[in-house]
Parts: sequence; C-alpha cells; structure tokens
Amino acid sequence: MSESGGANHDRANIVTETSGVDRLAGVPAVFGAVAFVVGWAIVFRWVHVTDVLAGVTYATLLSAGHVLAAVVLCAVGVLSTTGVVDTDPDDSTGLFTALAFGAIAFVGVGLTASQTFDTGAGVWLPASVVALVLVTVAVLSVPEDLGVTLPVAAFELVVGLAVLTDVIGPSWTWSPHGFSASFVGPIAIAAFAMVGSLLCVWAGTNASQGFGSRGRELGAYSLISTYAAALLAILVLLIVFVVQNGIDQVLKGAQLWPFKLPFVLNGYGLQYDVNGIFPAIVGTVWLVVGAVVFAVPLAVGAAVYLTEYADQGRFTRIVETATNGLWSTPSIVYGLFAFAFLLPRIQNNVTLLTGQLVLGFMLLPLVLITSREALQNVPDEYRDASAALGVTQWQTIRSVVLPAAIPGVLTGVILGVGRIAGETAPILLVLVREPFSASAPSVIGSFHFTASAPFVTNEALLSPATALPYQLFAVITAGVGASQEFGWGTALVLLCVVMFFYAIGITTRIYFRRKLRQ
Amino acid sequence: MSQMETQTTTGETEEQIRDEWLEYDFEGESALSVEDLDVFYGNDQALQSISMDVPEKSVTALIGPSGCGKSTFLRCLNRMNDRIDAARVEGTVEFDGENIYDDDVNLVELRKRIGMVFQSPNPFPKSIRENISYGPRKHGDIDTGLVARLLGRDDRDEEEELVERCLRGAALWDEVHDRLDDNALGLSGGQQQRLCIARALAVSPDVLLMDEPASALDPIATSKIEDLVEELAEEYTVVIVTHNMQQAARISDQTAVFLTGGELVEYGDTDQIFENPQSQRVEDYITGKFG
Amino acid sequence: MSGASTTQAISRSFGELDWPARIAGLVGALSLIAAFAAFIVEPGAVVFPALVFVAVALYGWFAHQAETARSLTFLATASTLVILGVITVYLFVKAVPILRQMGASLLTSAVWDVHGGRYGLVTMMWGTLVTTIIATLVSAPLGVAGAVFISEIAPKSVREAVKPAIELLAGIPSIVYGYIGFVVINSYMMDLFRLPTNGSLFIVGLVIGVMALPTVVSVSEDALNAVPNAMKDGSVALGSTDWQTTKSVSVPAAISGISAAVILGVGRALGETMAATVILANVTQLPEPLYDVFGNTITLTSAIASQYGVAAGRPTQLSALFAAGVVLFVVVLALSVVSQTIERRMQQTLGGDQ
Repeated sequence: MSESGGANHDRANIVTETSGVDRLAGVPAVFGAVAFVVGWAIVFRWVHVTDVLAGVTYATLLSAGHVLAAVVLCAVGVLSTTGVVDTDPDDSTGLFTALAFGAIAFVGVGLTASQTFDTGAGVWLPASVVALVLVTVAVLSVPEDLGVTLPVAAFELVVGLAVLTDVIGPSWTWSPHGFSASFVGPIAIAAFAMVGSLLCVWAGTNASQGFGSRGRELGAYSLISTYAAALLAILVLLIVFVVQNGIDQVLKGAQLWPFKLPFVLNGYGLQYDVNGIFPAIVGTVWLVVGAVVFAVPLAVGAAVYLTEYADQGRFTRIVETATNGLWSTPSIVYGLFAFAFLLPRIQNNVTLLTGQLVLGFMLLPLVLITSREALQNVPDEYRDASAALGVTQWQTIRSVVLPAAIPGVLTGVILGVGRIAGETAPILLVLVREPFSASAPSVIGSFHFTASAPFVTNEALLSPATALPYQLFAVITAGVGASQEFGWGTALVLLCVVMFFYAIGITTRIYFRRKLRQ
Repeated sequence: MSQMETQTTTGETEEQIRDEWLEYDFEGESALSVEDLDVFYGNDQALQSISMDVPEKSVTALIGPSGCGKSTFLRCLNRMNDRIDAARVEGTVEFDGENIYDDDVNLVELRKRIGMVFQSPNPFPKSIRENISYGPRKHGDIDTGLVARLLGRDDRDEEEELVERCLRGAALWDEVHDRLDDNALGLSGGQQQRLCIARALAVSPDVLLMDEPASALDPIATSKIEDLVEELAEEYTVVIVTHNMQQAARISDQTAVFLTGGELVEYGDTDQIFENPQSQRVEDYITGKFG
Repeated sequence: MSGASTTQAISRSFGELDWPARIAGLVGALSLIAAFAAFIVEPGAVVFPALVFVAVALYGWFAHQAETARSLTFLATASTLVILGVITVYLFVKAVPILRQMGASLLTSAVWDVHGGRYGLVTMMWGTLVTTIIATLVSAPLGVAGAVFISEIAPKSVREAVKPAIELLAGIPSIVYGYIGFVVINSYMMDLFRLPTNGSLFIVGLVIGVMALPTVVSVSEDALNAVPNAMKDGSVALGSTDWQTTKSVSVPAAISGISAAVILGVGRALGETMAATVILANVTQLPEPLYDVFGNTITLTSAIASQYGVAAGRPTQLSALFAAGVVLFVVVLALSVVSQTIERRMQQTLGGDQ
C-alpha cells in the first residue's frame, strides 16, 4: 500500500456554511432575469424604450438596473476575496471564461475606436487586440471570485452609464460602413439588456454558490436554462403568431349548424362568396396518398431485405450510404430531377402523378431508415424461437418479425408524411398550373378502362393540381393581388395538417418505446 | 410485523436479535452510522428502517438475495440515490459527525470522501492516465492545462506520481505502466475494474463503497479484486455488496444480511454470521435453502 | 456481402428451384429491366413489360412465396440505388451543356447574363455560403446547448414534455417560416434596421438557423442520451459536479453524434429553398462589399426556385440551374458521407464499452 492516502489528509468538512453572500448575489441574478424578458419585449415591440413605468422610462430603468447590478457584483467580489464572507473560489477563472470576456472587450473597444473615433483598421485593430489580451490576462491572474464578478460589473457599469448619460439613447443611430443596415437606440438598449442580463444571471448564480465547482455548475445551468426557456418561448410564439393571424380567415363565414367552414371547404373563384383552399387540401391529400402507395412498399421491402436477408457487409453499407444520401438530398434537387426525368415522360406536362412520384422518392429514404430501425429493434429471441420451431425464414418474417415491427414502421410513415405534406420545393416545378383553382381533382371518379394500352387511364392523375404549401408560395409570388389574410389562413391550415401528422407520429413513438422498455 | 413470530435458532424473536446487534460492538471507531433509514421508489419501499454502524478501516460485506435492497443501501451512503428521480430517502446517515442527508451538505465534498466502485466497470473513454487524474483535476488539485503551463504552475510531476501511486494501490501498475496513454476501454474487464478502483483512490477517500465489483469478471480477475479489497482495508473503510457468500466469508470482517423486502436481518462478525447465525432465515439463506 | 458471395448465393438459391420457377424468375427479371428501359426511352410502352412483371410476381407469390418475397425485397433494395443513380445521372446530364459552354468559369465567374447567355455560379454560391454560415452560427451552439438542457439539466417531467415539443417544432413547414419572414420580418428589418431593400442574407440565415434548431437539438440530444448512465455515475461518484460531468464525460463521449447533428443542420441549411426564395429579392449580383450580410442577393436553391419559370424557354439558363443543383447535390452528399463516417466512429467508441 502507498504511504499516503487514507484518512490522514486535511479534510474539508462535508457541510458548507451558508455565508449570506447568496442573498446579495441574488440581486444581479434577479435583475438579469427581468432584463432578459424586457429586452425581448423591446425587440418584439411590446414595449418601447421611451414608454414610462412608474414615472421613469424603460431605458432609464434598465440602465439603473445595470449600474445597481455592477455595484452589487463588485461588492460580492470584494467581500469574497477579502474573506469577509466564506466562499470557495478556485485560484483562477477558466481560460474559456477569460477568453469570452476578452472577446467582449475586443468587440467593445473595436466598435468604439472604429465608429466613435472613426479610426482606420490600422488603429482600431491593434487597439482591440490589446484590449483582448489585457482583459484575458487580467481575468486569468486574479482569483476566481474577482475574475467572475469584476468583468461583469465593468460591462454593466459601462453600458448602464452609456445609456444613463444618453451617449446611446433612444434616438441614437449608427450606420456601420459597408453594411446596408443601421442600428438604432432601442435595439442597442435591448441588446445591452440581453447580453448584460445573461452575464448577470451567470455571475450572480455562480457567486451565490460561493464560486468553485458548484458555483460554476449553477452559473452554467442557469445560463443554459434561461436560454432553453427563451428558445421554447420563441418557437411557441411562432405557432401562436400564425394561429393569431390565420384564425380569422379560417373562420370567415363559419357556422356550426348547419356546418359551414367556407375557407376550408370552398374553392377559389367568382362563384364563391368566400374564396377557399379546398382544392389545395384535396391536392395535398392525393399527393400524400400517392407518395405513400409508391414509397412505403418499396421502403419496407428494402428494410426487410437489408435486415433479414442480406449479410451485414459492404452491400448493406453501400445501400445505407445511398439511403442517407437520398435522405439529405435537398428537396429542390428532387424537384429538378423530376422536372428533367419524370415530366417529359408523363404527359410532358405538370401532373398530379409526377408530384406523387417525386414526393414518393423523398418519402422512400425516410421510411426505409425508420423501418430498418424498427426491424432491428425486434429482439433476435423472437427469430430464434420461431426458427427453433422449424418455421422457415419467410414465415418467421411474415408472422413474427413484421407484426412486431409494424408500430415502428407506422411511426416512420406518419412522420415522413408530415414532412412531405409541407414540402414546396419538389412540387414547385412539376405539379401546378393554376394555384388558385376552383375545383378539386376527383381521382376516384376519373378511372377509365380502355380496350387498348394502357388499359386504365385516370384523367385526374394526369392533370395539374395544386397543394397547400404551393398555394402559400403562390400568395407570396402573386404580390399585391393576393391578400395577406388568405396567406395566413393557408399557413394556419397547412400548419395544422403537418402538426397533426407529427403529433400522432411522435405520440405513437413515445407510446411504443415505453412499451418496449417494459 | 411478521418477523416477530419468526423462529430463530436460539429461540429469541428477531426483534431481540435486532436489539442485540444494534449494540453490536466492534473494535475501533465507526466510520458511518446509519439510523432508521427508509428508502421508497415511488410507492414501493425498498429499505425498511435500517440501522447499523460501519467500523472504519475494515471490510463490511452486505449480502442477500437479489432485490433485497443491498445495492440501494450502498447507494444511500454517498447519496448516489439522489440521482434517481423517483427515490425518496428518510432517516439519517452520520459521517464525520454530520448527517449526510442534511440540506447544507456539500455533495462534492461528501462524494470525494466516500468513493464508489460500480458493478460493471465504467472507465471514461479517455486514456488510463486521464482516468486516474480525472477526480483531482475536477477538484482543482491537478492542473496541466495551457494556462497553468504558461504560468509555470504545471502539475505534471504530481500527476505522474499520483497515477503511479493509485495504479500500484489498485495492483494494476505492472500491467499498464508502459501504456498509460492508451484508451482505457482497451483494457480487459478485470483491468478496467481495477482502474476504476484506482480512479476512486485518486481522490483519497475515507470510505470506499463497492457494488458487486467482481460480478462481471472471470474467476482470476475476481481473485485479484478480492486480494485488493483485503489490502485496501488497511487504509480505507470498505463496504462491499456481494451476492457471492463465499466471497463475503473470505474477505470481510463484518457481514450484514439483507433479506427480501429490504430488511436488515442480521449483522455481526463474519465468522459468527456464517458459523452461528442467530436467525433461522439467515441460516436458511446461508445454507442455501433459499435465495 | 461481397459481390462474389452475392452471386454465389443467387446461383445457389437459383439451383434449388424447379424449372417453372427458374423460367419465371428469368422472365420477371427481364420484364422489369424492359419496363425500366421502356420508361427511359418510350414511356408509352412501359405498360406491357410491367404487366408481364406483375403476372410473374403473382405467379411466384402463390407458387413460391418465400423465394418471391426474397426477390421482391431485394428489388426494393436495389431500387434505392437505382433512384440515387438516376437522380445523379439526370442532374449531371442536364448540366453538361452549360459546363461545355462555360468551362471552369461556371464555377469562378459571378456573371449571370441572361441576354448574353453567360452564366457563372459564384454569386449563388456566395449567397448559399453566407446564409449557411449564419444559420450554422445560430443553430449549432444554441442547438447543442438546448440538447444539454434537455438531456442533462432538465428534471424528468420537463424533459418528457420538452423533447416531443421540440420534435413537433421540427415539423413546421419551411414555407410557413418563409411566409413569416416575408410578411413580418422583412418589414420589421426595413423599419427598425433601415434596410434599403426587402430581404437580406442575414434574415435568411437567421430564419434558416431557427428552422434547423429543433433538428440539431433533437439529434444531439439523442447522442447525449446514448452515453451510458454508468459512465456519468462514475464521474459523479468521484465528487465532480453534474456540470463537470457533462463537460468532461458526456459531451466528449457524444461528440461524434453531436457533430453529426451539426452537419445535418448544415445540410438542411444548404438545401433550404423556400425560405430563401421568398425572403430574398433574388438579384443575381454579389453584395457590395462582399461582407455586407444585410445585402440582398441569391442562393443556389433560390436561383432554381425563382428562375425555373423564365428559364423554360432558354435551354442554357435551364442548364445553368441544373449546374446549381449539381453543386448542391454534391456538397450535401459529401456532408452526408462525412457525418455517417463520424457516427460510425461514435458507435465504435461507445461499443468498446463492454
């Protein structure tokens, strides 16, 4: 055994005393959380920086908050480093953090030098690099409690004072050379609020745990959680926004009894009181049906062959690579291909059938990949048990493997359908002649049998059609002619259709995965 | 409770036996002292009111049939059960004069001092050297990063010394000293497990918890681990879970027997437990009548 | 399976069959090849060999179901290769005329002169490059952070709600994003950032980045989730915090999966068509100066989508659009192969943990 180790070390107590610094450090953290929301509210124009709250403008409130946070953070750092409060900082802040502060200094000094003092690259570039190096080295050479608090405090102080003293006020504008955009005061104040708030949340929560590894953990966690909340909020807002804008159009003239939903059930033309998108909905349905009929048997068959018959080796790898390649091929490339290959061979014109085929080509790799996964998830015990009973391989596949894999295959098909139902690019070139059409294609009613080849014809399949995503595109390209409301309505219906497929697909997947685990 | 009526070899009730071993007097100080520990997973109770003291610098074996809660108990001792969302723990575990379930306990410090080795070897997909120095690096005791090198605070020599000391401590040095930079996943199962022990030693714990450390290994690797455990007990307090009774008899100083339902039925010197168990159920279990 | 053993296996199983089955197999194979050839050369005639194939398949299904099933599934597998092959061939064939006319300057010239009939792809490639970079800067760090949140930080109940929600958001059609960009963001940017024109590379990159976010989050989360819990437990039991475990164990162990997710996101951004088409004004000029991300230009995808209509009567312009498609196709295929190689390596790394 070694000479050291065991219990003869200087031991830290397993209990950490609460020092009181956590309360103080909560101030910048709370300010950060509030400023983050206010920053977004300014960007979304829910509030304006010159709006007044309790007699003071938001701009002033925010900058006062910045200064307050700076003062508190300074105090926390000093209290900690002088040992007044009990904390557990490391010897030095990490390189990554130091470089991040350095980068902020680089940007700040660079912008000030080049824009405010209008110096050339010969001056501002060296100045910024010097700032970067200085700040990085400074942060690295002090203990962690100062390295975390002081740089944030400095940033907060600078932006807070800049806004308070009206150097960057609501009426400030800045047009950088070489860019077409100008930046105005409200945007700058919002940007300060957001960057500053994230820094404050990080430094405040870090300090509240007394720095050290637990402080870094809480700092990082609160930063990432804030961001994740923002991400979710933005994505949800996106959906809410579409619903808000489209719901009026969708419900225009609607009534429950007798049931009427003209926007969804009408065509587009003079004979309708409310123009609708029924032909597009039917077109999308037929596109999806055709794609499924074409792609699913092929994809499932290929998945069965790859998983059950083929030896795992070069051949399966090549097919896998090809499938993944097809999966990531941009949708517009499928459109080009259909335009070059299918269009001249089918009626030499845009047709519903071509649209179905090209979406089928897109669906194929998606379903193939998920079906293969589903088949691979069927436990080998099933196959062995069946084979041990003397059942042939094909019978095993048919009666044991495929039924067990059906839920997975189905999920793949549903998610795939959700994806192709919303695709515009592949059908852009091959499907539509008249996007705003008055009547829906009637595929079932147009089958005709003939005595000569090709024996069966279907006028509807071989005619142009329209589809929901295309219709939305058409609203945009039509420019002034089409109304925005019509577009929002179409967007909402399209979103509902696609989300419906996705919701079902994801729910079944979760359900069957859970069942598999039990 | 049903065990009130259960027959015992000495004619006492289990309750009386329990009272006896609650006063079980071992030589030396106790490192951990558990009192009235209950663990629930959702609505299921996994451990029922466990109380026992673990003496320091010795090997304490926890044995029992599978599902009896011995691993759960072990994971309570360094609060690894906190990582299972559904688990709820009541009762106290005293370590170093503090209840480790108090709110203000610093889990980092706690786990530094109570290390753990898991059932199947779980080395990190890093080099052998990095596996050993992982803990000290995270605790800031060893720094070989760019900044440290620039500032002249490079701890490479300390790292080398630590790696050698821990690998020797885990009886692995001779086998791997010429390939310290190889990926640890390339080692055999037994070597990986000893690497995990070495990794735990690197943070200089007081207590080493081992959860069936040899269950995934072949007989030769197992005997190496067993020898190692006995050796470690000279410096560390070792608590080891095993379902292999011969193993417990070979290496442990004390044995605690858990039976189905999460109760601790008997606890005492290993010799006494295996030669003269007081509870009928423990005797049945040890002689192989059930479990 | 190597080529030789495939042939052997086929000939062996062929030898086991009786004569009618052998003939049927041969007729089936020939009729399928004939149908494919007919579709390429004379689409009207495709119906005859197709009917023969259907008849043979039906006969096989009832007489020799096992062999027929095996052959049909093999044909399905082969069809994926055929489809990829046909796509490649037709894209390249259609791009040949412009390549012959322009030579290497197709890829080095920024001239897009419809009247002079001279076409270079540099403008589009620059637009695609800039938007992809912006989109990746948005989606990669934020996507990985989101994945870390779901997999490592969020409590179980939050995780179970957020993961499906993110997957659901991955399904929002790109044209809906495009419409929002076109109607709302374009005017917002003109209003607040005083952009001179409708649309800019910056907006497109931002929108595409947000669009790719859910995919990147979801795929990187899968990678992080695949890191065995035992490995994380091992780190925590040494007294490191969860954050240190995430940084030093989970993320490094999952790094190949995470990079595959980022590459997937890049691929999505490259091929995104509708958002770029409707947000940009699609002017075939490089921004001035080049780094003006608030400038208005065109991307490879939006060039195809916005010009196919006017190009219908001009074969060279159409061919130039196909050349744009070829560039996209090749880059995305290369990305796909790279990400698969990385992912395979990931499986090997984690597979070694046994």
